[in-house]
Amino acid sequence: MIAFGASFAQDTIQTQLDVITSEIQSLKKEDKTHFMLRGFAQFGLDATHDNINFNMTSFNPVLLWRQGDRFLFESELEMEFINNELDIHLGFANASYVVSKGLIVRVGKFLIPFGTFGEKFHPSWVNKFSTTPLGVGHDGIAPSADIGIEIRGGLQLGKSKLNYSIYGVNGPGIKDGTDEPEEAGMLSFENSTDNNNNKAVGSRIGFLPFANSSLEIGASGYYAMPGSEESPFEGDTLNEDLNYKEVSALLTAFDLSYVKIISPLKSIIDIKGQYSLSTVSKATYFNPEDTMRYSFTNNSSAYYAQLAFRPALADNAFLKNIELVGRYSAYTTPEGSLWESKQSQIAVGLNYWFTWRTVLKASYQITTIEKEGAPGEHSGHGGTTGNVFSLYFAVGL
Amino acid sequence: MKKIKFITCLIIAVFMASVFIQSCASSKEAIANKSGAQLWGENCIRCHNTPSPADFNDAQWKTVGLHMQVRANLTKDEAEKIVVFLQSAN
Repeated sequence: MIAFGASFAQDTIQTQLDVITSEIQSLKKEDKTHFMLRGFAQFGLDATHDNINFNMTSFNPVLLWRQGDRFLFESELEMEFINNELDIHLGFANASYVVSKGLIVRVGKFLIPFGTFGEKFHPSWVNKFSTTPLGVGHDGIAPSADIGIEIRGGLQLGKSKLNYSIYGVNGPGIKDGTDEPEEAGMLSFENSTDNNNNKAVGSRIGFLPFANSSLEIGASGYYAMPGSEESPFEGDTLNEDLNYKEVSALLTAFDLSYVKIISPLKSIIDIKGQYSLSTVSKATYFNPEDTMRYSFTNNSSAYYAQLAFRPALADNAFLKNIELVGRYSAYTTPEGSLWESKQSQIAVGLNYWFTWRTVLKASYQITTIEKEGAPGEHSGHGGTTGNVFSLYFAVGL
Repeated sequence: MKKIKFITCLIIAVFMASVFIQSCASSKEAIANKSGAQLWGENCIRCHNTPSPADFNDAQWKTVGLHMQVRANLTKDEAEKIVVFLQSAN
């Protein structure tokens, strides 16, 4: 009887052990493939002299799918509410494979590492303002995302660090003025297919000289031939000699980031900046409004500088979540083009961090438009200003 | 105008040179021996606030770590040490 009881208990324990082992094996299997839904959202209100408007500015779900230790698929949907309609874009969708220490291969649609704002600081819970600096983002002078292949990685060099990205993508097109005459000569980055056989190539190198990684200095370059092989005026005897296949575009950017804990002040100081320059070779364009041809030096530039100060190490629970921010940005488009403009913007803000990824952002933004091109005008007009008070809630999901 | 450009370039060159010299200087700090906690404190804050370890489980931190290795160009050692720290502290 006793022997039977002991045997029964042993069988029970063995069964339980088998179940636990199976569960452990199951957990191990789950760990090899893992899905995550993350992302960010931002909503709030803008108040101007004329109106107060609630805005749902963004909802960007991000899917992360990891297989093992080396493979990652990531994609982002950009959802915005524009003119009473839901606007959905594929922000990025790409696969990365860690080949070795310091070498990652990425293919698909990815954020272009031109400067740092577009790739690293644009999520609404990372960006310290509810708006982007002038000249940065989807309507900026540089691409935000494109389809292609990239190699990238980070390397330790003594006590310094170096990171790099080298990529080839479909590249931009150039607006020839046939559809939108007022935008002739402007680079168009929103292309899902290439308009010629050339690929745009680019690179960014970042250098972190200090052992504590507080400072990063980066330089970016991007070269493209944006014109189509054929003249956009094919069949138009008056203008069919106009062709943009030899037009080239060279974009450069310099960026800086300095984040440091200032112990005596129990605070964190965060400085960011970026200067971007776009140089497109000279070409002749046709203005259908006055049936005249014209040309201009096709250079655009944009820059911003941002300073944030947060007493994050303060003893006071309320004070440590407060952050003061200031930003200056400017954007200049080509003189003599129909889209000539010159704008500058000052923004000051006060943020309150509820958690590390949840923030209430209050800001006051003054935009000065010195010159603003308009259809049918070769030279700008200006003198208008715009002041906006914004209150936004942003969360990283 | 050319003078201003030259002075600006000179200032940038001097700054870069000082930064480079500083980077080459010997340091008692052993980079390779940095803990995951220290790397977490130094690197995450370059873009955003340091995340709370409690917000994700082990598998999620592994995925986030790989995501950040790609996005932020962290070195492999940094990413691995940070993930191990976050998994141990969640």
